[in-house]
Amino acid sequence: MSEDFEDLMTNEHYEVLTEVVNIGMGQAGDSLARFLGVFIRLSIPRIKLVKADDLRKQLVELVGNDVEVTGVRQAFFTHWYGEAITLFDQGGSKDLAKLMHYPDDMDKETEKELFLDVGNLLSGACVNGVSEQFGIELNYSPPSILSQNVFVEDLFAADKMAWTHSLLMEVNFSMEEYKFKSHLLIMMTEESIETLAKDLERFMERY
Amino acid sequence: MTTKVLIVDDSSVSRKMIKKSLPPEWDVAITEAANGIEALEQYKLGVADVMFLDLTMPELDGYGVLEQIQKDGLNSMIIVISADIQPEAAERVKKLGAMAFIKKPIDTEKLSAVLKEHGII
Repeated sequence: MSEDFEDLMTNEHYEVLTEVVNIGMGQAGDSLARFLGVFIRLSIPRIKLVKADDLRKQLVELVGNDVEVTGVRQAFFTHWYGEAITLFDQGGSKDLAKLMHYPDDMDKETEKELFLDVGNLLSGACVNGVSEQFGIELNYSPPSILSQNVFVEDLFAADKMAWTHSLLMEVNFSMEEYKFKSHLLIMMTEESIETLAKDLERFMERY
Repeated sequence: MTTKVLIVDDSSVSRKMIKKSLPPEWDVAITEAANGIEALEQYKLGVADVMFLDLTMPELDGYGVLEQIQKDGLNSMIIVISADIQPEAAERVKKLGAMAFIKKPIDTEKLSAVLKEHGII
């Protein structure tokens, strides 16, 4: 791990960022609860600085590798640059379809649309919830499917990464009495970490 | 008269934000806890006239704290301060005995309004 990147983010930066992400996650959970009409269980955010060639291992640690997932990616840019990736456990897609009144025998294309809609909702609400606390407005790319029905370790190829270090933030959403589970990953790469560290310092000056 | 206040949140940053948001004229003695287990231990020692309680925490979450306090039949003035802003979260904690629910991020205005509404200040 580069010492430069370790030095940029102190323990206090991580603690502030965890609380800020916690608030963003709460807004995303509320959006999902209103959308689906069910109570959403929220996790405690986890944040790590990872190297590109270590990403797969770190993702497996955070998410597990026991079920196939579908990933929806959405880039954000302007002040910070990064990606929000929503992972849907395959086992929970039927629950999602049922709650959204989709047919049991929906085809792959319909399933894809469903994941894009919910991925867009979760990542938009969470990243907006984070950026609003800093008074920052971000722009977003349209959501797209990263991979469909793959194991987590096969989501990314390290040799195709355009970055060496990334700040990886993970939160997850689940439902009582349903199998549905979704992980939201927010990744910010090198060029944004220094900006974010300064934003976090300014944020804490209020307190 | 000094009010004993227990602030329960796994985030030290959040505890700091809550302390900073307390009305400046309010005379308080503050104790902090970083999870539900610590909160119950402190609560039973009598350090809380008023408890500010987070919901999503390790070890024992805020719902668990409320359930235990309700089960033990203890008197409480518990105000939940949470990032989990689902309407059902607020309904659940009120059923478990919380007197109020405040959405994070916290500030003095929100906190003072609730404390005044319940006659605490």
